[in-house]
Amino acid sequence: MNKSKFNITPFLFIGPAVLLLFVFSFAPILVSLGISFTDMNLSGLANWSQINFVGFDNFVQLFQDEKFLQAMGNTFFYVIIGVPLAVGSSLLIAVLLNFFNNWVSSTFRVVYYVPSITNIVAIAVVWSFLYNQEYGLFNYLLSLINVDSVPWLEEPVVARLSLILLAVWKSNGVSMLIFLAALQSIPKMYYEAADIDGANRIQKFFKITLPSMGFATFFVTVTTLIGWLQFFEEPFVMTNGGPLNGTNSMALFIYQEGFQYSQFGYGAAASFVLFAIVIVATLVQFKLRKTD
Amino acid sequence: MKQKKLGSLLVVMLAAVLVLGACSSNGSSGGSSDKDTITVWTMTPELEDFVKEYEDESGVKVEVQAIPWDNAHDKLLTAVASGKGPDVLQIGTTWVAEFAEAGTFLDLTDYIDEYPNFNPDNFYESAVETTKYDGQTIGIPWYVDTRVLYYRTDLLEEVGYPEGPETWEDVKDAATQLAARGDDQYGIEIPQVDQNFPFMLAWENGWQYEEGEGAANFEKTGFKEGVELHHTFFEEGMAQLTEGKQLYQAFSDGSKPMFFSGPWEINSINEQIPELEGQWDVHVMPEAENNKSMIGGAHWTVFNNTEKVDEALDFINWMADPETQVSWYDTVTELPANMEAWEDPELADDDKISTFGKQLESTQAVPVIPEFETMAQELIDTLEQINRNDADIDKALEEYRNQVSSILSK
Amino acid sequence: MELKNKFERAVVLFILFAGGLLVSLPFIWMILSSFKNDREVLSIPPTLFPENPTFEHYIELFQNLNFGVYLINTLIIVLFAMLGLLLNTMAGYGFGKFDFRFKEGWFMIVLVTMMIPGQVTMIPTYLILNEMGLTNTMAGIILPGLIAAFNIFLIRQFMVTIPDDLIEAARLDGAGEFYIFFKLIIPLAKPILAVQVILTFIASWNSFLWPLIVANDESLYTLSVGLALLQDENVTNYGLQMAGSAFMVVPIVVIFMIFQKYIVEGFNVSGIK
Repeated sequence: MNKSKFNITPFLFIGPAVLLLFVFSFAPILVSLGISFTDMNLSGLANWSQINFVGFDNFVQLFQDEKFLQAMGNTFFYVIIGVPLAVGSSLLIAVLLNFFNNWVSSTFRVVYYVPSITNIVAIAVVWSFLYNQEYGLFNYLLSLINVDSVPWLEEPVVARLSLILLAVWKSNGVSMLIFLAALQSIPKMYYEAADIDGANRIQKFFKITLPSMGFATFFVTVTTLIGWLQFFEEPFVMTNGGPLNGTNSMALFIYQEGFQYSQFGYGAAASFVLFAIVIVATLVQFKLRKTD
Repeated sequence: MKQKKLGSLLVVMLAAVLVLGACSSNGSSGGSSDKDTITVWTMTPELEDFVKEYEDESGVKVEVQAIPWDNAHDKLLTAVASGKGPDVLQIGTTWVAEFAEAGTFLDLTDYIDEYPNFNPDNFYESAVETTKYDGQTIGIPWYVDTRVLYYRTDLLEEVGYPEGPETWEDVKDAATQLAARGDDQYGIEIPQVDQNFPFMLAWENGWQYEEGEGAANFEKTGFKEGVELHHTFFEEGMAQLTEGKQLYQAFSDGSKPMFFSGPWEINSINEQIPELEGQWDVHVMPEAENNKSMIGGAHWTVFNNTEKVDEALDFINWMADPETQVSWYDTVTELPANMEAWEDPELADDDKISTFGKQLESTQAVPVIPEFETMAQELIDTLEQINRNDADIDKALEEYRNQVSSILSK
Repeated sequence: MELKNKFERAVVLFILFAGGLLVSLPFIWMILSSFKNDREVLSIPPTLFPENPTFEHYIELFQNLNFGVYLINTLIIVLFAMLGLLLNTMAGYGFGKFDFRFKEGWFMIVLVTMMIPGQVTMIPTYLILNEMGLTNTMAGIILPGLIAAFNIFLIRQFMVTIPDDLIEAARLDGAGEFYIFFKLIIPLAKPILAVQVILTFIASWNSFLWPLIVANDESLYTLSVGLALLQDENVTNYGLQMAGSAFMVVPIVVIFMIFQKYIVEGFNVSGIK
């Protein structure tokens, strides 16, 4: 590649997308960053002269807001448990599906993708039933083996874990597809060579499969991490952040404080705290990948 | 081969630009530009067919844009931000304060006398209260909404209240007996996330919110009594704290023979549990010092920068007419805000609806201040601390007052 | 890797089967519930098979939804989303296979747009559209969602695995850059493009928020918005909601069935070399 003189070709490829992204996604983020240093609310939105610059007040206030700190703690809880589970389970499904190359794989690809396209109301209704403490299926099954009923959604810590289970269930589809596409791109001859060397299956998985799909694993890990840091829909439809604020996430907090109650300045500030966490987490991953 | 692919790609792109261009050219700004057309935003899609009669009468075309409830707030925000809205706009009573503060609506004060149907005396007083913000009148009541007690007549008869409980003491007595029927049997369903309900309990205990007093309001007598009343039902096992069966199932199998709800529930029960006919009824709210229920509903407002004020007002005048209000009730069973409409046999001869009519005479609106929703949500969280976390009531309320003063000082 | 014997095959099949059942239960319930009456939908414990199957919800759906207009709008959005997919693919290729100044910086800008919850930028984006005079236009509905950082990132990750030699060889043969992209790169990237087509179709088919916010006229509404309105008219009617969702999901399943086979058709980079 010609690095010494300016080459226009790459810009022809990235130009249109970057331009559109800049105007409709990046510029609004800059605007929001500006808003986070103001006291903008609904009146300010209607009449910009009513907006006051408040410096770092919103940020100071956030770190004194118990509800926000709790939401931040919950979010870390979700991420630490949820991300490895989500990445691991979708990889497992993809590997299992990849054993087959007939009707089994094509049928189960659809089956395992189906949660991603199931209507959220249907999900809420069915899972609410599964999790219902008195009449739910899970507790009924547990009662058959004499286990006491579990307060699936009625106790903060248990409720967080229940939502993680639900979210892993729901999010597996897309990651599974990506892993499958990656698995398909591993040349068969690598395995054949390993067979000749007498490697067992576990060795093959860790020495060939995983390293060969590093690019896909990296992508899935980064996007899953970003997704879980912005954990929103599950608590929104299942618990609305309760009980006792125990399942509230940062994204849900931002939605409630900032947009339900129209405190745009405060909401924008909270979202930049979240943004900072996301960016640090992402950069760490990029650094780790470089050192690989 | 190469040329062919690139060529077809270019054609597609060109077509794309043309389509986008064509679509862009018919865009209009702020309401409709057509002289004899007004645009109306509503959250009730049935309005679309309903306005045909008005169109025929007046010769004005009404373009109804229906917006799903869950996203109406977002849609209104962008309208406020850009100044591009409809001519006429439906607004829920709880959103009046925040959008009025932002200057979304035209002040109708000077027009009240011009249109016969705008007379405040035509409407329930507490409905008119929520059309006022900061000395302005921003809307005309359209329909109202309130809460009453739904109960199983057969089961309540067994515990000595065949006509339904009159007072909260009656409710507690009945609920205690009903909850004693066995495991998984409760006396009543008490709302835990409804933002209005705790305020209703406080009003019924003689409490009032005064705007100037801020957080000190919640130290006045009546408020704590309301919170204690709420707590009693859970503490003594009269109501279920956790998420149980679906409410209609619990109502129909008798495990929860009482609950509070609004007018829409009548049709819904008739449709979904028809076998219960004759075994249930509605009763006005139980009384403590009084039996005030909340009043909600929606108003018609005029968007601040419309150019068609007269057309907009004429349309609202038609919607506020007693006759229109009766036929709207016919269409979607939303309760008329106009009191004259209630004299129509359609409403007056219906026992259950009449109970709502009776309740409407004893209603109160939640305070019309932009901070109300945040304050109410904090209260819900506080009640959760008391009911689920055994927080001490006095301490929890003190904490709540601190929260309120910080909300009000924002 | 391959399974060695029948026994292993059976074990893996059993795991897939049990997991599959668990995973698709809500979906099956959603489909079956669309044939239940209002009462049965909400009964606890839920019934799986409808006791008295009814088509009333589907009839209501087809009678009351303003299909013609909403379907056309939705299809227009889908069409343009596919154009957007092309732009995403080009950008992913650009980031994956070229070196240029500030590449990392440009790519960071792309990634940053994934890192903020959507509601935060909704109002600024609307104001930008408003300044450009694009409110109440199809362009205003389409443009904000055309490019997705997620897609660019995904394609870039795959492009990186394509050997440089392959592209260099084509250049030496005198192939133009766009010829290389369309004739060499796109066929190689088939599996991941199939994933992309599926994801893009689903997102655009379900377009909801922007059509609602940008449109000041119901003639720009999409199927999702129409469905939401119909559900508002029938709040307690879960059967109708399920029928609506089942109806919306059919085209998605069809698209999925068509494109999923490309995912495993596979490309064997080393084989080409």
